[in-house]
Amino acid sequence: MMSYPVAPPVLLCGVSKTKSQTILFNLLIEHQPTEDKFCFFHPERPTMTAMRVDAKVVMLGKESVGKTSLVERYVHHRFLVGPYQNTIGAAFVAKSINVGNKVITLGIWDTAGSERYEAMSRIYYRGARAAIVCYDLTDNSSFQRARFWVKELQTFEEHCKIYLCGTKNDLVEGDRSARQVDYHDVQDFVEEIGAQHFETSSKTGNNVDALFLKVAEDFSNSAFEFLPEEKGVNLDQKKNSYIYTCCHH
Amino acid sequence: MASDVHSKGVTWDTSNGNLTPVEHLPNSRSESPTPGLVEGTEPGAGQERAMFVHTQSFEDLTADVELTGSRLSEIEEVEEEKEEEQQQGGGGGTGETGGGAEGVEEPKQEVHAVVREKEEDHVFVLSEAGKPIYTRYGSEEALSTTMGVMMALVSFVEANKNVILSIHADGLRVVFLRKSPLVLVCVSRTGQSDSELWRELHYVYYQILSLLTLPQLQRVFQQRQSYDLRRLLSGSERVTAGLLRLLETDAGLMLNATMSLPLCGTTRNIVCTSLQAASSKNLVFSILLAGDRLVALIRKKEQHLHHTDLHLLSNLAASSSSFRQGEGWTPVCLPKFNASGFFHAHISYFEPASDLCLILVSTDREDFFNLSDCKQRFLERLKKRNAYQTLKEALHSPTYPVSQVGIPELWHFIYKSKSSGLYTSPELPVPYHTEEEQERLMDLYQYLHSRLHHLTRPLRSIYRCTNTENLLAWSTSGFELYLCFSPLATKALAMSAVTKLLKWIRKEEDRLFILNSLTY
Ligand SMILES: Nc1nc2c(ncn2[C@@H]2O[C@H](COP(=O)(O)OP(=O)(O)OP(=O)(O)O)[C@@H](O)[C@H]2O)c(=O)[nH]1
Ligand SMILES: [Mg+2]
Repeated sequence: MMSYPVAPPVLLCGVSKTKSQTILFNLLIEHQPTEDKFCFFHPERPTMTAMRVDAKVVMLGKESVGKTSLVERYVHHRFLVGPYQNTIGAAFVAKSINVGNKVITLGIWDTAGSERYEAMSRIYYRGARAAIVCYDLTDNSSFQRARFWVKELQTFEEHCKIYLCGTKNDLVEGDRSARQVDYHDVQDFVEEIGAQHFETSSKTGNNVDALFLKVAEDFSNSAFEFLPEEKGVNLDQKKNSYIYTCCHH
Repeated sequence: MASDVHSKGVTWDTSNGNLTPVEHLPNSRSESPTPGLVEGTEPGAGQERAMFVHTQSFEDLTADVELTGSRLSEIEEVEEEKEEEQQQGGGGGTGETGGGAEGVEEPKQEVHAVVREKEEDHVFVLSEAGKPIYTRYGSEEALSTTMGVMMALVSFVEANKNVILSIHADGLRVVFLRKSPLVLVCVSRTGQSDSELWRELHYVYYQILSLLTLPQLQRVFQQRQSYDLRRLLSGSERVTAGLLRLLETDAGLMLNATMSLPLCGTTRNIVCTSLQAASSKNLVFSILLAGDRLVALIRKKEQHLHHTDLHLLSNLAASSSSFRQGEGWTPVCLPKFNASGFFHAHISYFEPASDLCLILVSTDREDFFNLSDCKQRFLERLKKRNAYQTLKEALHSPTYPVSQVGIPELWHFIYKSKSSGLYTSPELPVPYHTEEEQERLMDLYQYLHSRLHHLTRPLRSIYRCTNTENLLAWSTSGFELYLCFSPLATKALAMSAVTKLLKWIRKEEDRLFILNSLTY
């Protein structure tokens, strides 16, 4: 019933010569091409074809700023009400998006904001092409935390594009006094560091798709700078453990 | 009124002798109508080696008591003195220890008030500096004086080279667990024994270790005694709350055992071998759960999982919806396996709304995509061999009615096979359909359990009659059995039921237990 074109899917890292190329990790995963929504390991799918994750995207930001809600809105088009549930460690989802005539698959790492995982955070953002650094528009301390992440990324992931995202826009829309982070202050900061700036609401869906579309477009436009002709990865290599170890940089 | 019958006496001893099987080889599975009572031959015993670390139900506690046991009576006296001092006017002694208890008039009443709100145990965690770390109810800030008094009590007793274990007063129990650099305190008026409350505190302690590891915990307090540990624990409140809830409702945590999902033997085999085949170099454990029930467990050779660690893992997987939204990847310490390091767990649900959860535990923090691939291969095998559908159907009936056993007046039972570390239990019948009634039954079982495992005066069996049910508990080297009968049952009937039940479990053991423990 389940058959692969070549071999079972596996993470394959492009073993490449230059530093910039090693940050491109390709991943083959199961995907039903007709299904636009993420359906990664949906057991009901009768047939699956290989899909690769093109760009690693990492969500960073203080606890409860709304990272999971943002991913949930983008991937599953919904907003979960009910008690807030902290992410534990990190959660991974893949999602395909059309950019022009290409399909780009984003591998999204939704990390936990708790300080406990700070020491681990590098394994989540290492090799990321884009980081969506979230802060809560109604919580100034969350913006300070966002600055911390920006610094961290600038130091360790120079090729990672940064998208600063002010969340819970709906809360400040109705009540301006609720806003604790000034739009223009952030805009100045963003220009200074050469990042992008969005304000979103996962509750209403406002600006969420635009954010991820921008991430995918930027990736699509820049991908070929690094990868003039990425060959199909050799699946036979999967037996060799060394190909995994290139992730350790 | 309840009455206990401690049969140190004749009945059980003779039947014990008679029931011991002639052959003692672990592999000789008794076909005889009287199943073996010796460990390794009891119904549900694993055919090969056990997959769990062998555990006593109170192993942590027995270890503690070995250290302090000889001084037990002495300590009790000290506690009583202390109590009086407290009641007489608030911490005459506490000043000496400088535990930050100044100005607190009647700390006990404060605790009372806190407990009275809920008829559940109250749990506090504090640092040795008396700083609040966790409280089950209320906010840490509001309770910081209470915690200060608690710490003062601990230090006061320790100043005399003693260890404070518990305070009993007026239907209220305050139990202390000292695990440097933490102090854990449980306040209860539910009538549970000290041992039960210690078990609760041990679990909370291991929960904290599973998030931080012991070295990290020690390091932060070495660097700064007054460190606010809440910073590192933030976001784990739901996990701890879930654990405390489980301790009140899940017999597995009491028994140091895990319930397996009833599943026909062939399907279980396919599931186990498929999971075994989906291996990866750094995998240590592959655990398939259906809710809190174990479906399959595959281990690395020579490595054994501890029940406590399994309960912590399954509680972790249940306590955040983030594992249902995508594939989770998190560091986790299995404190009983090794408290000093992190494993990395790939946690995912098969379908967003399903209870089937796969936990893959690896030693390598870069292993995410390897494990993701393992999961995928496992799923494909299951489907290729048509076991996925059967498995999903088995989830609809995760348990069985007690009527299947065919013993009149038997309402419910818990049977634990000691060598496999698994237990089986039917669904709760009508009298126990409300939450209070379920908790009441659980309390009764806990009572029986604590009598069987009493630290100094353990019983082999106990028969207890109440107005609402008759209970029998029995422990051998092979199994532990708890039976709940209607009040109409007699002791004679209860005893004859045991043999019948053991026979039934033997007949059904394929379905009820996981008999072979596979390694990669
Ligand atoms: N009104 C409103 N509430 C939001 C929005 N996004 C998130 N929230 C709420 O904020 C809380 C935290 O959301 P999460 O998405 O779980 O936060 P997180 O950043 O993933 O938190 P961690 O996983 O702990 O790091 C939840 O109660 C959400 O309902 C939004 O756009 N508008
Ligand atoms: Mg989250």
